[in-house]
Amino acid sequence: MEGLFFNVNGGYIEGVVRGYRNSLLNGQNYSNLTQCETIDDVKLQLSPAYGDFLASLPPNPSTSSLANKTTDKLVAEFRYIQGQAVGTLAKFMEYLTYGYMIDNVALLITGTLHERDTRELLERCHPLGWFETMPVLCVATNIEELYNSVLIETPLAAYFKGSLSHQDLDELNIEIIRNTLYKNYLEDFYKFVTEHPELKDTPTSEVMAEVLEFEADRRAINITLNSFGTELSKQDRNKLYPSFGGLYPEGTLMLSRADDIEGVSLAVSGNHDYKSYFDSVGMSGGMGGSGPGNMSGGGGSDGKSLEDMFYQKEMEISKSAFTRQFTHAVIYAWVKLREQEIRNITWIAECIAQNQKERIGNYISVF
Amino acid sequence: MSGAGDREAVFPTRQSLGAMKNKLKGAETGHSLLKRKSEALTKYRAEITRRIDEAKRKMGRVMQIAAFSLAEVTYAVGGDIGYQIQESAKQARFRVRTKQENVSGVFLPQFESYTTEGNNDFGLTGLGKGGQQVQRCRETYTRAVETLVELASLQTAFVTLDEVIKVVNRRVNAIEHVIIPRTENTIKYINSELDELDREEFYRLKKVKSNKQRDNNAAEQEEKASKRRGSDKENADDPGATDILGEQEDQDVIF
Amino acid sequence: MAAPPSAYKDRHFLAVIGDEDSVTGLLLAGIGHVTPPPDAQKNFLVVDAKTENSTIEQAFDNFTQKRKDIAIVLINQHIAEKIRGRVDTYTEAFPAVLEIPSKDHPYDPEKDSVLKRVRRLFGE
Repeated sequence: MEGLFFNVNGGYIEGVVRGYRNSLLNGQNYSNLTQCETIDDVKLQLSPAYGDFLASLPPNPSTSSLANKTTDKLVAEFRYIQGQAVGTLAKFMEYLTYGYMIDNVALLITGTLHERDTRELLERCHPLGWFETMPVLCVATNIEELYNSVLIETPLAAYFKGSLSHQDLDELNIEIIRNTLYKNYLEDFYKFVTEHPELKDTPTSEVMAEVLEFEADRRAINITLNSFGTELSKQDRNKLYPSFGGLYPEGTLMLSRADDIEGVSLAVSGNHDYKSYFDSVGMSGGMGGSGPGNMSGGGGSDGKSLEDMFYQKEMEISKSAFTRQFTHAVIYAWVKLREQEIRNITWIAECIAQNQKERIGNYISVF
Repeated sequence: MSGAGDREAVFPTRQSLGAMKNKLKGAETGHSLLKRKSEALTKYRAEITRRIDEAKRKMGRVMQIAAFSLAEVTYAVGGDIGYQIQESAKQARFRVRTKQENVSGVFLPQFESYTTEGNNDFGLTGLGKGGQQVQRCRETYTRAVETLVELASLQTAFVTLDEVIKVVNRRVNAIEHVIIPRTENTIKYINSELDELDREEFYRLKKVKSNKQRDNNAAEQEEKASKRRGSDKENADDPGATDILGEQEDQDVIF
Repeated sequence: MAAPPSAYKDRHFLAVIGDEDSVTGLLLAGIGHVTPPPDAQKNFLVVDAKTENSTIEQAFDNFTQKRKDIAIVLINQHIAEKIRGRVDTYTEAFPAVLEIPSKDHPYDPEKDSVLKRVRRLFGE
């Protein structure tokens, strides 16, 4: 049924995105990239895919400028799609940008808290999280003003309201603020894709629910793991878990009680995928002296870390999103795939620049 | 000789000669001691230099690994954490304390790193994602900074040692080329002065003796002469001095 | 001969002058320290392409001369190059100045001021 009218508004965009997806680097490209000796070679290898965007780079550019240019391409394409989007898709794309906005706002909050000139920060903001009224936030000189202008001027107001007050901005660690916002954002996004009348029971809602549930689980697990040994209390930690996802509610509850890695591994043992990740990185049971935080790094150069596994899983979900038709989810998937591609390129370039060839294969490629 | 060389202003007495001889002895002992110290320090410096060279090379590698782990963070977090890190730095967790090590009587500064417990400015960095990499990166960098601190110790030791060696060498040279020759000169001077005095004295004694001899001789001569003159007179005045003769003859009797 | 204890007793901190990546990494190790307000002073300086040489010199002088709580000054070699004159003429033992490599500029022993002294010493 849904296919009948989808193409009226979304067909063109879906086609474009599928085209973009085909220009993503594949395994062959990556293995070519890893053979490169210099950044210039990398640049050359990338020129079919990135063309003009890399043209302005000086010879032997730094890896960060390479990353910037590749991001520029993503942004340009994203903007183009956004320009074409109408109706629920436009809204959907806005949701996509909120994640970046949260990062940008967190950055501005940090700057304001430390009384820096926040205008300098604008160029550090992620371009996808840019919103028109962002420069307005820079006018704020103290945290209360900033709080008010965030409430008034940004689409994020809903995420602040109710869970954060302006005192909180002052007192809480910026990471807690960021994660609170992100939790609210994920919940809102989830609600949007599952409950919006036009999206309900469409492939979009199906695929996006899967993606977002995974994202929620990933965040919950990461937050738990990373909070060991910090001042974050279990109660506060509990507040940062999104209230949906594969682990919710039992797993989340167990996560909130977990004291160590074993607790986490126990909490996720209900989910086969996560359990196998924990097993393969050797985190479940019998974890000896290794301290929290670096357990995934224990294997270091050879094994993959839990984060890597999650990225891998995310990519696979994104890839399978393209097997569906008549859905906005392909845009989300494409953005994620492209982001991963940028990370991969940066990683490979970094390995080459720093002569750490033995780790160069750590990129994640799903095509 | 004594006039030409540089010497100390002393009275050429036997006492100051003794003092000078002691001084020379002291200077020679000091010279050999300092010379040995300087040699020991120079050897130590060569050792340090070698270690600096080694450590500098090691630093290159360590810093590269550290920079790479930061790249991993960027990869995992998927964004730039630099600004946030800069702004959330408040209290130094990693500090150094300075102590001194005694090498051949020279106090060489040494840095010792320690971490203050409890305050962790970046505990929550990467909470959502990448936290594990952030932790790992912190450890890598902590190790890197430890290497840097070690290197800084060596380097400071080198600078201090270099300074000390310069001072010691200056002293050795001063003793060798100024103090010892000067003392020797002084001794020579005193000796020559004393010899001079000796000679003077000898001559004076000789002169006195010869004067005395001369005087004695003269007196003898005189006496002889007067005696002779007396006998001559006697002989000459014999007949004429009858009235005195009586006495003379008396004397003769006594004589 | 030995430096009086007052010269180093209070020196607890490290200071950094470097590019963003180096500073971030070193701060992650926990060397960052900001003195309490009102005159909040950082012990690190991020140098990018826009930073004036005079700013670097000022920070270098500040770390090496004015502040008495810094034991070691770390400076990226390529930044030390910019103020080479200052770095080369600095010969004090405290604080120690250390040239470190940065991500984009591998370490070159030829340019290091201390190694230069070492080399001079051996007449190379």
